[in-house]
Amino acid sequence: MPEDLADVYRSTYRALVRFLYRKVWDAERAEDLAQEAFARALVHKPEKARGWLFVVAANMARDEARRAARERRHLTLLKSEPDAVHSAPEDEIDADAQRQRVRLALEQLTPRDREALLLWDAGMSYDEIAGQTGLARGAIGTTLARARRRLVDAYEGRSEGGQHVAR
Amino acid sequence: MRDEAKEGNMSHVDDGALHAYLDGELSPVERAQIEAHVAECAACRTRLDEERVLIQRASQLLGFAQPPPPPRERAAPPPLHQLRHPRLAWRLRMPLTWAASVVLALAVGYYVGGSGYRLAPEDGAGAAPGTVVGIAAPEPVSPGLNDRSATEQARTQPPAAPAAPAEPQAVRAREENAKAAAELSAAVVTVDGDLVSARDRLDVRDWPVIGRDPARQLLGTDPVGVPGLAVRETRRSPAGDSVVLVEQEIDPTTVIRLFQRRAEQVDVGRRVVIRGAPSAARAAAPDARGTERLARFVGSLRVEIAGPLTPDSLNKLLEQLKPIP
Repeated sequence: MPEDLADVYRSTYRALVRFLYRKVWDAERAEDLAQEAFARALVHKPEKARGWLFVVAANMARDEARRAARERRHLTLLKSEPDAVHSAPEDEIDADAQRQRVRLALEQLTPRDREALLLWDAGMSYDEIAGQTGLARGAIGTTLARARRRLVDAYEGRSEGGQHVAR
Repeated sequence: MRDEAKEGNMSHVDDGALHAYLDGELSPVERAQIEAHVAECAACRTRLDEERVLIQRASQLLGFAQPPPPPRERAAPPPLHQLRHPRLAWRLRMPLTWAASVVLALAVGYYVGGSGYRLAPEDGAGAAPGTVVGIAAPEPVSPGLNDRSATEQARTQPPAAPAAPAEPQAVRAREENAKAAAELSAAVVTVDGDLVSARDRLDVRDWPVIGRDPARQLLGTDPVGVPGLAVRETRRSPAGDSVVLVEQEIDPTTVIRLFQRRAEQVDVGRRVVIRGAPSAARAAAPDARGTERLARFVGSLRVEIAGPLTPDSLNKLLEQLKPIP
C-alpha cells in the first residue's frame, strides 16, 4: 500500500472521529463512520489514504440526512431557549452546553468555510484542504481567516459587524 | 482581500497571508517578506497579534466541540487489526437485520467429505482458534448469510430473526451428518444440540500453488477475487476436488482466502460452518486460523471467504467479488 494505512490509522483516527463528530454530532456515530472509512480504505487501498479518508468520511457524514433532520429539530429547540447559558461564565458552562454553542456557531459558517476549518483542525495541510475542497491553495488562508472570525463571532454572540446578536 | 505581502513593505499584509503565516503554511520567502513587513509596520504587527489570538480562540472553541469522553470500552482507539475484527463489525450500524444476520451467521458452510476440504486431526497443541460447527441440513446452500449457530442466535438475535428452528429429525440428521463429515475429515467433534463442534485445523499451506490457467480449467471460468487486492497465491485443493483457493492481501499481514468451486459440484448434504474463535482469542492471536467465514454464489462459482476479519467485514469483501482474469 503506497501509504501505510496502519500509520495513517494511528495518526489520523482520532482526528477523523473529531472531524466526523463535528458533522454528525454523535460521538458513537462518528466513531462508526470513522471505522467504516478505514474499513473501506482497507479494501480500496487509496494512494493518499489520509485525504481519501476525509473525503469518504465527509461523504458518509453527508449521507446522514435523516439524522441531520433530527439534529436540526433539536437545534431549533435549542435556539428557542432563553439565553441563560450565553451569559454564564465560560467555566461554569458545562461541556455539553459549550459543545452546543460551538455547534451553533459552526452552523453559521458557510459550508465551504466550515469544511476548510474542520479539515485544518483535523490536521490537514493547506495543500490537502485545497485538494479536498477545490479551493485554490492561495485562498485557504483567507478562507480560514474568515471561518475563524465567523466562528468566534458567532460563539460570542456577535454579528459580523461586531454587534451582539443575542442580547 | 486587502493587500498582498508580496507587494512590498508599503502594503499591508492581508488576513489570509497572516493566517497562512501563523499556520506555518508559507514558503520561506513569503515568511521572510511578512516578517520584514511586520517589523516595520505597527498596524500589521497589531493585526498579527490579533489574528494569532483569533486562531487560538477558534482552536479553543473547536476544542469544546470534541466528542464526549468515550465509554470505557471505547476509551482507546482500537488497533487497526482490531478494527477489522469485532468492534468494527458491531459498530457499523448497517441495517440491523443485515448486521445481525451477517455477524451471527459466523460464517458459512464449506463442504467436507466430498469436497476434500480436509480438517487435520487435532493434535492438542495450540488448540484454540476455531470451532467447526457442522450443519448437515440438506437444503441447497444459499449464499449462506442466513446460516447461524443456534447458540449465537439465541444469545444475540432478536426473536424475529428469520431462521426457523430446526426440526428434531433434522437436528439428528445434522448431528449424524456433521459427525460423519467430521469423522471423514478426522476432526474431533462434540455435539451440543444441533451444533456439532470440532477444531478447525485447516491448513492450506499444503495446497499446491497453481497458475491462473489451471485455476480457470478447474473452475470452468475465471476465479474471482476482491478487485484492487493483490493476489498472493492461487492454489488448488490437494484432494482433486476442483476447489481453488485464491489468497489476497489486504495488507502484508492480513490475507483473505477465497475458496471457490463450481456451484454444481456442491455436495449439499454436508457443509461445515466454521465459527471463529472468541474475539478475545482473535485479538490475542489475530492470525489464528479460527476465522470467520461467509459464502456466496458468484456466477457459476460458489465462493467462501475466510480471513482474520469480522463477519461483516468479510461479507463486505464478499459482496465485491469479481472475476479476476
